[in-house]
Amino acid sequence: MLTAITRAFRTPDLRKKLLFTLGIIALFRLGSVLPTPGVHAENVRRCLEQAQAGDAGNIYGMVQLFSGGALLKLSVFALGIMPYITASIILQLLVVVIPRLEALKKEGQAGTSKITQYTRYLTIGLAVLQSTAFVALARSGQLFQGCSEPVLLNDDVFTVVTMVITMTAGTAVIMWLGELITDRGVGNGMSILIFTQVIAVFPSELMNIFRRNAFTFAIVMVVGIFMIAAVVFVEQAQRRIPVQYAKRMVGRRMYGGTSTYIPLKVNQAGIIPVIFASSLLYLPQLVTTLFATQTQQNVVIQWISQHLVTGDTPVYMATFFVLIIFFTYFYVSITFNPPEVADNMKKYGGFIPGIRPGRPTAEYLNYVLTRLTAPGALYLGLISMVPIVALAVAGASQNFPFGGTSILIMVGVGLDTVKQIESQLQQRNYEGFLK
Amino acid sequence: MTIGISIALILSSMLMVLLVLLHKGKGGGLSDMFGGGFSSSFGGSSVVERNLDRLTIITGAVWFICIIALGLILRP
Repeated sequence: MLTAITRAFRTPDLRKKLLFTLGIIALFRLGSVLPTPGVHAENVRRCLEQAQAGDAGNIYGMVQLFSGGALLKLSVFALGIMPYITASIILQLLVVVIPRLEALKKEGQAGTSKITQYTRYLTIGLAVLQSTAFVALARSGQLFQGCSEPVLLNDDVFTVVTMVITMTAGTAVIMWLGELITDRGVGNGMSILIFTQVIAVFPSELMNIFRRNAFTFAIVMVVGIFMIAAVVFVEQAQRRIPVQYAKRMVGRRMYGGTSTYIPLKVNQAGIIPVIFASSLLYLPQLVTTLFATQTQQNVVIQWISQHLVTGDTPVYMATFFVLIIFFTYFYVSITFNPPEVADNMKKYGGFIPGIRPGRPTAEYLNYVLTRLTAPGALYLGLISMVPIVALAVAGASQNFPFGGTSILIMVGVGLDTVKQIESQLQQRNYEGFLK
Repeated sequence: MTIGISIALILSSMLMVLLVLLHKGKGGGLSDMFGGGFSSSFGGSSVVERNLDRLTIITGAVWFICIIALGLILRP
């Protein structure tokens, strides 16, 4: 393992990429701790301590997780890459709904880059909305409930507007940093930035648990290691459907005749369903905070704030679980299209032994995929339920360090990045990290 | 002083957003993001793109300096 790392650093090309990625990450973290001008940093720190002691700051769960604690610090990069994720989700859903976008997606490279461009515009729009919302919350003192100290230095309109614009620009910078990593560094930039933020809150969370109770700490560590192993196991699991290619003679050359396989992963959708579901379940919280100030409470709002805001009610758990399973199937159906794969195979003279090419192949692939996705969806649902159940049973914090989503992100992004480094290493020598 | 730097910050922020949006998105969206296979980047950027990069970096530096300066001035 260590020799592989030294070898990675001895390859000049790869060394440059790795150092570039590390540099961008350092910049990103710097921006995440730098307070936005106009914020009373000292008061914010005091309020944060209060919130952590009273577990009141946890209502922003998912957003806080993705921003690595930057959000409640009201730093320059407070919004993190959440706007980008939300924009991506919205566009993914719109592709299914709007015919024009669907046509663009079918166009291939050019169409996809156009959709990416739309995602970027939408990201800025969402960033403006979210930063306005958060600065407004901070201004009215609702960001930290039960903390009376003023978070902003002075709340005239000019300062507030400056803050909003700065945060929006921060989101744009994050987007750019992510793209730079994708372009010139190692791995996919956006996921590496999420990874960084998830990892960043890790040590302090672990220290919190350790300080509270050393025995719990030991249990958490053991459970966490087991969970990581389990997640790696399932992430790597795949079903290989054999494909035989027919031999063809073109002129005097022989083509084909090879036998390969289509790898169908058990968890084909990756972590996206969890992110979709969490983002959707974040909406009721947003609605209730918006209507919380109204004196006369409506029945629907009351029901929502009773059942859908905190994670320990059965209704919330059930909704979360069902949403994850739905989105797993939804996302797999978007990313893997059996008729298309079958068509492509037929075009190049490939077939699955024992099954006719064309429609029967598509049906067979569909059959296998739907059955394969069932355990995958259940697995995603169960893993992401772990922190919620832990919250209900043991009273642990919602930012439980080995929470399902964080583990899924850590393992997923980690594996992916290591694989990419490995494929770069293998261009020069044969041995990599994974044996 | 404060107002001057604030205005500089607002202007550089807007310029930053504009310049970032002018870049060609290399993100590839969410499908790429978590285990979506390898994104093959076709290397070699054009002169326009390189100049844009340079401009963005300069604007970013100005933006960053403005934030720190304003933060220091506004410190209680």
